[in-house]
Amino acid sequence: MAEQPIEPIHQFRINNLFDIGTFGGDGTAGSGVHIAFTNSALFMVLTIGLIMAFLILGSQRRAIIPTRVQLMTEMSYEFVANMVRNTAGHDGMKFFPMVFSLFMFILVANLFGMFPYFFTVTSHLIVTVMMALLVFFTVVIYGFYKNGLKFLKLFVPSGIPWFIIWLVVPIEIISFLSRPLSHSLRLWGNILAGHIVLKVFGGMVVGLLAAGAWGIVAIAPFGMAIALTGLEFLVAALQAFVFAVLTCVYLHDALHPGH
Amino acid sequence: MSEPRDGNRPDAGSDARKAAADLEARIARARGQRQATAAAEQTRQGDMSGMSRGFRLASEFVAAILVGAGLGWLIDSFLPTRPWATVILLLLGFAAGVLNVVRTTKEMNDATAVPPNTPALPDDDDD
Repeated sequence: MAEQPIEPIHQFRINNLFDIGTFGGDGTAGSGVHIAFTNSALFMVLTIGLIMAFLILGSQRRAIIPTRVQLMTEMSYEFVANMVRNTAGHDGMKFFPMVFSLFMFILVANLFGMFPYFFTVTSHLIVTVMMALLVFFTVVIYGFYKNGLKFLKLFVPSGIPWFIIWLVVPIEIISFLSRPLSHSLRLWGNILAGHIVLKVFGGMVVGLLAAGAWGIVAIAPFGMAIALTGLEFLVAALQAFVFAVLTCVYLHDALHPGH
Repeated sequence: MSEPRDGNRPDAGSDARKAAADLEARIARARGQRQATAAAEQTRQGDMSGMSRGFRLASEFVAAILVGAGLGWLIDSFLPTRPWATVILLLLGFAAGVLNVVRTTKEMNDATAVPPNTPALPDDDDD
């Protein structure tokens, strides 16, 4: 143990499993875009595979008296559908497929991350940023498509005197532009921090156990690691939920601009 | 199950009525339960763990500042206004961050259903 220091960050390392190829570039080393199938990609595929298996298995029989899997599938549908209806409004249901996909992907990816030795897809900022940007551009494009220039009302709160407007509008625009950032940072930060803390406490147990008779002290970080594991399950589900709810809140703005 | 019902006709009618009333009661109960779960869901949404609540507010605040500063820096790198766009937009970013936090807090407060018979705080209208 002493030779190999415990690295809390090591779990986030991306490894190439096999190469797909190099695109572009002039053939010299280091030029072009090198694309490989990484462990991150593997777990994305596994996540999507599990979701598809779950949903296909659950919706296959369509029994009046549902089996357990069918019940879980229907519950996940109803949970997200209620969330979309309550938060984005009834006309928000046309975005149900997107919200459901995001919710299920984040939830299953987070829960996959709770397995020891598994890679957590959502602990990489690029993944969460891409999902947040998908939502952001959906809101912007659909907002302009549906409302035209009325969408810009989002930045001009009603009932504001003209001499304040020039100050309020930039603030509103910055507030709007900050959404994808906070949207992605929150999910990423929660998952990353949780996994690092888990690893640190786990590492403490191992380190203290190596200390001979004083190893009895290791029971304290061990208890902490157990408690944190429970908390991490909560965080995994909660962050998927929060991400989906915020997606609905932002979609509400695209559907009904103006406060 | 079907044989005794066919056997005595008059009882079958009252049985059916009883069954209908029972069904109605069950539907009403299910409706009530549904509303209850919806309310519970709302409180759960508002009652996220303190850590995630804090993290949400912090990220809203920080994100606005970062975006403001970044936008200002971008403007400065294209226009000859070197420090000023960054400075002004950083300050506006702070304002937007505060606005974000206020909005998020309001949203969280709205999501937390107030129990129906909560007494008004005594020092509500003081100072």
